[in-house]
Amino acid sequence: MVALAQLPDTEQLPEWLLDWPILLISMIVLVGVVLGYLLGRVSKSVLEAAGVPQSVEGTAFERTAQSLGTSTVSIVSRMLSWFVYGVTVLTAIYAFRPADTDWIWQRIVVFIPNVFIAFMVVVVGFVAADKAELIVSERLRGVKLPEVSLLPRVVKYTVIYVAFLIALGQLGIATMALLVLLAIYVLAAVIVAVAATKDLLSSAAAGIYLLLREPYGIGDRVTIGDREGVVQEVGVLVTHLEDDEAEYVVPNGQVFEHGVRRERN
Amino acid sequence: MVDPNELLETVLGDVDGILLFSPTTSFYEQFVDADVDVVVVASENDLDADPFVELPVAFQDVYDRVRFGIEGALEQGLLDDGDVVACISSVFDEDLDTVSRVRVDADSTSGVYDLFENTRAEPDVLRSVLELVIELGKKGQKGQPVGALFVVGDAGKVMNKSRPLSYNPFEKSHVHVGDPIVKVMLKEFSRLDGAFVISDAGKIVSAYRYLEPSAEGVDIPKGLGTRHMAAGAVTRDTKATAIVLSESDGMVRAFKGGSLVLELDPEEY
Repeated sequence: MVALAQLPDTEQLPEWLLDWPILLISMIVLVGVVLGYLLGRVSKSVLEAAGVPQSVEGTAFERTAQSLGTSTVSIVSRMLSWFVYGVTVLTAIYAFRPADTDWIWQRIVVFIPNVFIAFMVVVVGFVAADKAELIVSERLRGVKLPEVSLLPRVVKYTVIYVAFLIALGQLGIATMALLVLLAIYVLAAVIVAVAATKDLLSSAAAGIYLLLREPYGIGDRVTIGDREGVVQEVGVLVTHLEDDEAEYVVPNGQVFEHGVRRERN
Repeated sequence: MVDPNELLETVLGDVDGILLFSPTTSFYEQFVDADVDVVVVASENDLDADPFVELPVAFQDVYDRVRFGIEGALEQGLLDDGDVVACISSVFDEDLDTVSRVRVDADSTSGVYDLFENTRAEPDVLRSVLELVIELGKKGQKGQPVGALFVVGDAGKVMNKSRPLSYNPFEKSHVHVGDPIVKVMLKEFSRLDGAFVISDAGKIVSAYRYLEPSAEGVDIPKGLGTRHMAAGAVTRDTKATAIVLSESDGMVRAFKGGSLVLELDPEEY
């Protein structure tokens, strides 16, 4: 902006142009429009070459964009164009009015990139949220439980929430309360996860020892706690024992709790 | 002069169900509103078809493929004994080109569906072992035909009914049949005598096992050697499935419950 403000002083500009500010402004507008259009086209083909259309395919954002007759890539590249147009318009106005008379324009000019970045963060956040939702629900497709569909949605809205936080932070809006909310939410999630998987974690730790040292192997007759049988499988979380009547799935944590009695043969 | 359509009518008329083998999406959609039951048989359910039977191997032999599809549909209750079905499958190209009319007979099932679905071992494990054996049969070891015996599932009991011939190269290892390294490794190990033992979840428990089941009452075709006899016998004594690659004729055979269930020629795959 400083460079532009000095434009009228530079020697390259002919005298007559300074006498006709309308000409200067229209030149700025022309250059801006061409630049914006080119940037939009180039970014569109770069995004397409980078495989963005394939990776956003199937997300809700892309579907909404498709139903409006456009696509994520063209929205992003269109936004880039409009960003340049906006800067052009502001520059033109700026060139029209001297800098010292109207400082509010300066503020706006500085603020515009932040708005743009915030907008981009929101778009990327939406696409990433949709993508995360898709991936999680894809993973959970084998689980035929209606309640499980809640989980992908939680993931989606968490990502959107974080994206909005970043966007608001970019705009300089106070996000302290929202941040505290996020921290509480993350803390709660961690506590619930730890509490829920406490036994799994202890079994997994025991299972890793069992796999590394193999104190007993497949085919051995062992007793763990009050269950006796032939070892059929040793996994990270559980050991499968089998006797004549039944198969026992014993958590590996119990191996450490009760110890193992292994019969010699 | 007989109209070709009338000839087809004798094949397709009055069928109780249609079995589509690996149809394309557009082909399947034509059948969605049909007034007979349509069962899709394919290796992957990418059509989200509802009556669906999963093919574990891309059976080259249409007879095996149709047999598997029918037994699968029968097992899932999609077809009943005595139903007449039209099986649409492909023989020459990828496209569906062949229609066969088959009467479902629940009494004379070969158990080929049972082999993959109702076993202790996970179907994926059995499929990987079968693929391994087919590849081993195709390439052999250093150009020489090799024989191999894999006992899949119920590993605890199999280990108790066998003894080691030498040190177990898989001791304290955690190699699973699906791992990419296994193909190379097993090719080298296949020159070892004895059987490979694989657990329900696919872990290679041991090589070099000498199987000691009682061969009493094992009914396998005459002319097969000791390897097949051991395979048949161990599946009768335990709940395992055995897959054998014959050294003499190069065929892959699967045994379950003491009898021969499936016979494949690896050269066709």
